[in-house]
Amino acid sequence: MREAEARERAQRAVDIAMTMGASEAEARIVLARRFNAAARGERVTQLDFSEGRSLSMRLFIEQRKATLVGTHWTDDEIRSGVATALEQARFAGVDRFAGLPDPQSVPSRDLDLYDRKIEERLDEERLDDVRSVERSIREADRRIDNSNGSHYSDACVTLALANSSGMVGSYRGTQVGISASPVASDGAYKRTAHYGSAARFLSHLDTPDAIAREAVRRTVAFYRATKPKTQTTTILFDREVAASVLDDIFSACNAANVAIGNSWLAGRTGERIGSDLVDILDDGTIPGALGSSPFDAEGTPSQRTPVFERGVLRSFLFDAYYARRLGAKSTGNAVAGGIGPNTFFLAPGSASLEELIASTKQGILVLETIGFATEHASGLYSRGARGIAICNGELAEPIEEFTIAAPFPEMLAGIDAVANDLKFDGSIASPSFRVAEMQVSGSSSAP
Amino acid sequence: MTDDPLTAQSAQRVLDRALRDGGLFADIFCERRSNVRMTLQEGAIHEAALSQTFGAGVRVVVGESAGYAYTEEISEERLLEAASRAAAIARLTAEGSSRSAQLGSLERARDRLYDRSRVENAAPRELAALLERTESAARAGDSKIVDVNAHIVDELQELWIARSDGFFRYDRRPLVTLGVQCIARRGKERGTGYCADGGRTAVAFFESMTPEQIAGESARIALVNLDARPAPAGEFETLLGAGGGGVLLHEAVGHGLEGDFNRRGVSLYSGRIGERVASELVTIYDDGDIPEERGSTSFDDEGTPCGHTVLVEGGILRGYLHDELNARLMGMRSTGNGRRQSFRHLPQPRMCNTYMPPGDADLEEMIASVENGIYAKSFAGGQVDIGKGDFVFMIAEGYRIEHGRLGAAVKNATIVGNGPDAMTKVTAVGNDARFARRHYTCGKGGQHVPVGVGMPTVKISAMSLGGTASA
Repeated sequence: MREAEARERAQRAVDIAMTMGASEAEARIVLARRFNAAARGERVTQLDFSEGRSLSMRLFIEQRKATLVGTHWTDDEIRSGVATALEQARFAGVDRFAGLPDPQSVPSRDLDLYDRKIEERLDEERLDDVRSVERSIREADRRIDNSNGSHYSDACVTLALANSSGMVGSYRGTQVGISASPVASDGAYKRTAHYGSAARFLSHLDTPDAIAREAVRRTVAFYRATKPKTQTTTILFDREVAASVLDDIFSACNAANVAIGNSWLAGRTGERIGSDLVDILDDGTIPGALGSSPFDAEGTPSQRTPVFERGVLRSFLFDAYYARRLGAKSTGNAVAGGIGPNTFFLAPGSASLEELIASTKQGILVLETIGFATEHASGLYSRGARGIAICNGELAEPIEEFTIAAPFPEMLAGIDAVANDLKFDGSIASPSFRVAEMQVSGSSSAP
Repeated sequence: MTDDPLTAQSAQRVLDRALRDGGLFADIFCERRSNVRMTLQEGAIHEAALSQTFGAGVRVVVGESAGYAYTEEISEERLLEAASRAAAIARLTAEGSSRSAQLGSLERARDRLYDRSRVENAAPRELAALLERTESAARAGDSKIVDVNAHIVDELQELWIARSDGFFRYDRRPLVTLGVQCIARRGKERGTGYCADGGRTAVAFFESMTPEQIAGESARIALVNLDARPAPAGEFETLLGAGGGGVLLHEAVGHGLEGDFNRRGVSLYSGRIGERVASELVTIYDDGDIPEERGSTSFDDEGTPCGHTVLVEGGILRGYLHDELNARLMGMRSTGNGRRQSFRHLPQPRMCNTYMPPGDADLEEMIASVENGIYAKSFAGGQVDIGKGDFVFMIAEGYRIEHGRLGAAVKNATIVGNGPDAMTKVTAVGNDARFARRHYTCGKGGQHVPVGVGMPTVKISAMSLGGTASA
């Protein structure tokens, strides 16, 4: 779909910028056809079908940097945007590390990113999926008496990148997602949960029925939940919450944060920080994964980077700029506007989540967290949480309205079990894992 | 920022096409936005980022359903295509009959809330100079301040809204922000401070609220946090600071009063207008009509004038926040709270500026009345669960209170609680009401919009603090 046209526009934007006085230029074109639908009860409540296009450029004048993003498309629109951006670049400081990556060849391997079945889907098939999620949540449990709406979305994306060092590349990718938000009344309260599945291929997606059942399980799990007492105890992070913990670890491994001292991992490469079970990788080359692509936002080929090996910090994640600045090589983690994950994940263990629960004497299985209170400079993790108490290896009563907290180094060192339930359903993924001890703050303990 | 991209005649034809298949209501949201963001790191301007977007979306509403399509190529032909695609929702639900739009001529918003005369972004020279002043001021006070990261944003948003029930309105909204993060270090200890201000105004705002004041405040908080101790865990009497404490109202109550959640019956406040939902000391308003606040606009993103909405009065629930769709389905009127992130998004009911008016308690007396507690002076942000009302928020600057006296600073603390429960535990409201510094952005359903919050100091008899030290 229009790959040649996207490459032509990207190349043209680079040429325009060079003619207008840029010393280096890079342009990225994204063409996307997006379909979004929502249903609630019997009714389709939202239908949104749009074809969008966007341009992002990085411009350098003698190592002064400016960026331009927007809806520019024609030569005249690009010229006008570039003129303003170049004018602004003159006010940036000269930064000897600024510039395009060194010229490199773009790999031609096929990472299996495009599912033609998504492009060819009929609207009616898409709507059937979202309606069937709505039906299934009501059939799954009679306590479900309402819904905040179920959603279906898919996208066919074409991306082209060109730069003034002669690089021109493009690829296509698809993505599809389905989610459910059932509601159940619990006395005066409404119990809600949101659960979804996302993939590049329709065949990798959980079925509408499985998504509905999991969403319902999470909704009714907290019926009559109580507040636990303040204590230190074992915490088992369920897969999805575990991925949100990995999200924080990614921030600490992001070289842009490391460079400005906003990471608790700064200066600790080579140190043992986590337990033996902590193997964390960033991988842009996993076939069919949502986080995979042949090259990153500045054209560096994707690779597999060990970040932690058996608890030892091996590498931060770099784009070309921070690699130069910190004396490293780009790990292919450039994204629009900074550094981001390809697929950043904790390597799975061999036991199931059920086996992890069975081997936990006392603790909490955390199913949801809210908040985003990580202080990246000092590395303290603290979240509001909801979960199920574990008593003598069995799931006991639901609990909520508490926080869990620990310094990150203690958390990573305290990981004493990792489950086998890893799924590549986002660019940050994790299997469930257990931390031997964390601080839980709930109601005041008895005097 | 020149001519109107849409004439009344052209908009009329697009709306007619949108309604042809049985839609009840249709609108066009055409938006041109130009945003300049400059960042400073390590003593130098790091990057100048320019974002320029121009596009339009057509919406068709029928019953509780909405069809939508946008285009980034503004021509009547493309808008007619978008209208046809958006109308698919009407073909699907097969209700209603074809109708025609009745469009008036273009009305331009007046200059009451903000200066609408500016047609171009601030000069880059001016933005760079403000950042450089910010950086030198942040470092000037104390050698322990080792890192300073600052940013300045200047944005102009122009919008044209054409509605099938006759409105055709234009506005130009300015928005500026200057923010600075300071990191203080002593040996291995670090402390972070953040301060930002701005609003719907021009960079001239930073003549009265100077970069030196903003930088000084950020550096002060970093130094406080450098000496802060790990927060204790447990339940404490809590004082929420004036201004920024309004984040609590926003998270714990405001979201639960948004019309979509209540129309669907998924909020714990659904169907409870007239009931007591808070201590009698609690009154909460939302107001999109306050000059220069981030959440203020001449009219909302559906063209409805923004106004003053009473949400809770003396502890009694009085009203919800509405956009057109949810108001109509509930037999109410839009309160001017239909907002969207951009032309690529459908409107949702959202807060504008949410605040609590002053009570009569004095701050010193409130501190003196606390035996064992926490003074949460400002917050870094929060989140809420709509159905149950559970919330968390993160303390940016906080202190212990012991035996009626302010004690050591605490760091990295999360407050967790339940909104309705916390509102019944309000035992004092200060006389020091004010709006927070203007830098808050609210996220909902993947859309981000600027908002304002305000509050006097408020005392809550018990809240859970999630720290790592024992109490």
